[in-house]
Amino acid sequence: MIDPFLLEGLIKILFVFVLISAALIISTRNLSSVLTTYTIQSFLLALVSFLLYLMDEKGQLLLLAGLTLASKVILIPYFISRIEEKIKIGRDLHFTYLEPTTSLLLSIGLILLSYVFLSRIFEDLSLSKLFFFGAVIGVSLTLMGMLVVFSRRKVITKVLGYLSMENGVLMFGLFVTEIPFIIEVLIIIDLVILVMLTTILAVGMDSSIEEYRQKFRKLQIWTGGRYL
Amino acid sequence: MNTSFLLFALLNPIFALLAAPLYMALIRKVKAYAQGRKGPRLFQVYYDLRKLLHKEVVYSSTSSWIMRFTPYLNLSALLIASLFVPLLFVPEPVGGFGHIIVFLYLLALERFFTALGGLDAGSAFGGMGSSRSMSLAAVIEPSMVVAFAALAFVLKSLNMHEMFALTASEVLPLSPTLVLVSISLFIILIVETGRLPVDNPATHLELTMINEAMILEQAGKNLALLELAHALKQLLLMGVLINTIFPIGLSTELDSGKIAVSAVLFLLKAGLLAVVIGLFESSLAKMRLFRLPAFYVMAFFFSALTILIEVFA
Amino acid sequence: MYLLEAFVYGAVLALLSGTFLPLLYRNKNARKASFGLSLISSILLLVFAGTILYTGKEPAFPAFGFLPGLNFTLATDRLSAGFILLIAAVVPGVSIYSVEYIEHAKSEARKDLQTALTNLFILAMLLVVLAGNMVGFLFFWEIMSLSSLLLVLHNYSSEENKKAGFFYFVMTSLSTAFLFLGFISLFRLTGSAEFGQLEYPANTLTLPFLCLFIGFGIKAGIVPFHKWLPYAHPAAPSSISALMSGVMLKVAIYGFLRFLLSVSTPELWWGVLILIGGSLSALLGVIYALKESDIKRLLAYSSIENIGIILIGIGLYVIFKVEGLEALALLSLVGACFHAFNHALFKSLLFLCAGSIVHATGTRNIEAFGGLVKSMPSTSALFMIGSVSIAALPPTNGFAGELLLYQAFLQSSALTEPLLTVLLIIALSSFALTGALAAALFVKLFGITCLAIPRSEQSKLAEEVKKPMLLGPAMPAALCILTGLFSKQLLSLAGWNFEFPDLLLLGLLFGIIYAALFLIMRSKNPARISETWGCGIPSLTPSMEYSSAGFSEPLVMIFKGIYRTRIVHKPEYLDMQESLFKNGRVEIRLLRFFEEYLYTPPAQAIDNFSKLVSKLQNGKLDSYVLYAFIAVIILILATGGLV
Repeated sequence: MIDPFLLEGLIKILFVFVLISAALIISTRNLSSVLTTYTIQSFLLALVSFLLYLMDEKGQLLLLAGLTLASKVILIPYFISRIEEKIKIGRDLHFTYLEPTTSLLLSIGLILLSYVFLSRIFEDLSLSKLFFFGAVIGVSLTLMGMLVVFSRRKVITKVLGYLSMENGVLMFGLFVTEIPFIIEVLIIIDLVILVMLTTILAVGMDSSIEEYRQKFRKLQIWTGGRYL
Repeated sequence: MNTSFLLFALLNPIFALLAAPLYMALIRKVKAYAQGRKGPRLFQVYYDLRKLLHKEVVYSSTSSWIMRFTPYLNLSALLIASLFVPLLFVPEPVGGFGHIIVFLYLLALERFFTALGGLDAGSAFGGMGSSRSMSLAAVIEPSMVVAFAALAFVLKSLNMHEMFALTASEVLPLSPTLVLVSISLFIILIVETGRLPVDNPATHLELTMINEAMILEQAGKNLALLELAHALKQLLLMGVLINTIFPIGLSTELDSGKIAVSAVLFLLKAGLLAVVIGLFESSLAKMRLFRLPAFYVMAFFFSALTILIEVFA
Repeated sequence: MYLLEAFVYGAVLALLSGTFLPLLYRNKNARKASFGLSLISSILLLVFAGTILYTGKEPAFPAFGFLPGLNFTLATDRLSAGFILLIAAVVPGVSIYSVEYIEHAKSEARKDLQTALTNLFILAMLLVVLAGNMVGFLFFWEIMSLSSLLLVLHNYSSEENKKAGFFYFVMTSLSTAFLFLGFISLFRLTGSAEFGQLEYPANTLTLPFLCLFIGFGIKAGIVPFHKWLPYAHPAAPSSISALMSGVMLKVAIYGFLRFLLSVSTPELWWGVLILIGGSLSALLGVIYALKESDIKRLLAYSSIENIGIILIGIGLYVIFKVEGLEALALLSLVGACFHAFNHALFKSLLFLCAGSIVHATGTRNIEAFGGLVKSMPSTSALFMIGSVSIAALPPTNGFAGELLLYQAFLQSSALTEPLLTVLLIIALSSFALTGALAAALFVKLFGITCLAIPRSEQSKLAEEVKKPMLLGPAMPAALCILTGLFSKQLLSLAGWNFEFPDLLLLGLLFGIIYAALFLIMRSKNPARISETWGCGIPSLTPSMEYSSAGFSEPLVMIFKGIYRTRIVHKPEYLDMQESLFKNGRVEIRLLRFFEEYLYTPPAQAIDNFSKLVSKLQNGKLDSYVLYAFIAVIILILATGGLV
């Protein structure tokens, strides 16, 4: 009913914005911005799922869109914003191993890498160019999420990076395979549990794993300066 | 050389010159309203230019012929650049007028000589402005070229007149890539005209000066010419953006009625864009100088993604 | 036609006599005459090359017997004609300039020797381009290297120059060694020493390609073989730096092109390698140039950048040729050669002006210059033309050359392989970045050198140089502007009709609008002259204006990952808790990446190995007899079949 060209065009635009959101998660310094970006990324994914439903008319996609909306756009960000209110750190300033500029340039390399990798693997599969690019973006998103996990210091950002990785897997699944619906539900339950645990621990735990260790160290300083 | 182009060569620069100061004032007014003030009159910049033309020109004793020639050179370069962007109607392209790379390098010519003018008077402000301006311009250059390359890829031509003849009758952009290129072009517009968050055009403080510092020593009619050149550059970049994203109404024929409609539509569209720019500026604070390359690399990332999408999907 | 060859013979004769004249008659007139002879030869070469380029005639030369079995031939086709045109365009300016410049050398003997060597250098380069077979090529290549080496060492009493000369000598010998390897492997493949078409599949040509790439790359100054350039060019006299940067580097490019153009089916990875090497050279060249404060070293790094750009064009040529896009391949090749020609013009112009400035102020340090636009107006004007050309601003020739390359890049959407398109887009971004950085570099160079207030006593006392040193650079300057304006016409005269913006129209329009504005805006009241605004401080001193290092500071900060300035901090404390400071040492070191990690380790290894080997030659008679004894025993065993 709706012009497929228009749908394809809209999906292409959404692809670029998803990648931009991933790049922003890598480079933003403001913690609440990282959360907002993650929320927007999940919303865009729900939108992509909805557009795919309009294209293919599979009921599962509509359900998936709704589930993503409910869990990743509403539930998880609510929990994380509770954590952020509690621990009151505003910024995540330090980057380990990679400055934001370098990581942006590296991300372009990752996208190219996933393209080459997937084109080798999927040689026999007949996918339309758009769907293939969707798969490429899925893998790139996962890799970029992993980048976030190792290059940022605060745990919240690491958790959001991990969640971003899961978004990448979801994207990959949307375009390449027919991931059985039950697996998607299980993944989402996994994530919700993870975030709930983090919330609980956040009451007693400080902002980053490093500072947690520092606290232990400080207790031993009277033993003459021997560091652990 | 055909009549279409000759007419274009006469009408387009004059229209651009006359319309350019209006949008400088409009953006200022929008920013003022966002801050709760009334802001300047819409024609204020015209009055300022007239005032400057009557003032005395003062040259520093350390300056050379560069200070004396730069304003004329800049305005000439930009008047020629105005032959590259169709604002009223799309002419038959002649002899390379409209080539995107020549357009970009005419802007670079203007920047080169303004920077030299900044160093000419031997003041610390001028040197600082030149240094920062040339350094940041270098970092944004790849994004500019890649964004224009994306335009060339999608619209299959290197000449802006041919490109916009293709899109002139469409309501919406031809392909999603054009939407993305428009975002890149918007960022380039902000960078090239020195607006927030890159530079604050309203202050003359060292913290926020890049562009203003270079013309600090100019006075009188020279300053008027330089301000006019700057406004013209802004209008031309706005023109490229408008033609990419919202080209309806641009006439492809020499019909006087259609051209009049084109002119009115362009003024309205540019006004809308000016409001958007003003609101965008009001919502951001100026970025720290050495955070700007990260912002520029983000812009490059965006342009590169646009081309990648075009190539891969 | 006989007439055509006569031009070449005439030019060669003129240069030969120019070489010997100052050695026989040691006076100023002989030197002037010798430079006049090189000027005449360049005019002859101009006619010769122009005729071949625009009419396509091919002259025939006889073979010259050299040694039994080895003879060298001369041959010219359109490629060599283009490069002879390059030589002919640069030499007049350099000759006229040298008439006055050579008189600043330290002693009469040195003046005569340098004049002779300059002519020999030009002659050698000419004959390299004219060479028709490998023997002649290598023979004249060596003469070219040796004469330039002697010229680099002209001021051999200074340590710095000695090191520069030695570095240059080692690198050029390495280059010749690789060239020999490459040519010999080609000879074994084809069986003939002539330069002809190579119809071989590309995988058999891998070894020659790599050897010739490295050999010509060392001479042309491709990263990572470029390190000798920043040492040799400042050490040589400015007219020679102009010749080296302007012509010698291009002769290396010519050699490489001669090989590439004769291969009928190149491989894709060749093009990719050349493209990546070119992009890297261009980017690193200009980034290192930004940090320099020695004017000639800065120009040397800028040469590396431009050679990178030429290589980008050559890489594009190979890629497009392999992919079957013949028109784009031709466009890239013409772009690369045109850029080589333009670079020869504006680089020689810049070096000649730099020579005048260095002579007038007595120092090469940019931080000591300033205000030269008032004390040396003509030189500054010429310097400005050179800076505008090298920053590739319309309507100069630098812009025309880069425009051709941009055109080739932007039309690459015709490529079918998406990864190749992505590579080209990355190369395009780095190309755009180098262009913009070069513009920033030359704003810095021209602005700090010529504008504002003199930063030192020497700069204050600078005086304009004499007429020949002004006339010399004026010729390349005029050619820069004319070649830029008439670029489309010149290219179509040579038979290449690309879809190319007409810069003549642009330039004319520019002139008209400028004049119109000037006339409209003219006012009756003269302008008032006053002091620069200094925030209320009455008079400005040179320490208040921007310095060269300060100008590049933002870019150095942005690219600090490449410069890797290391801050080594070694404090010493009096107590264990590190609270009472005793003394300390702080060092800020710029990482000389290529020298420390790439050049020095092999050099050290060779040094150690030769120390080991030198123990074998200890001067004692007994050990030599021992060696002879061992050799005889080995011979007996080998011939007796016992081993």
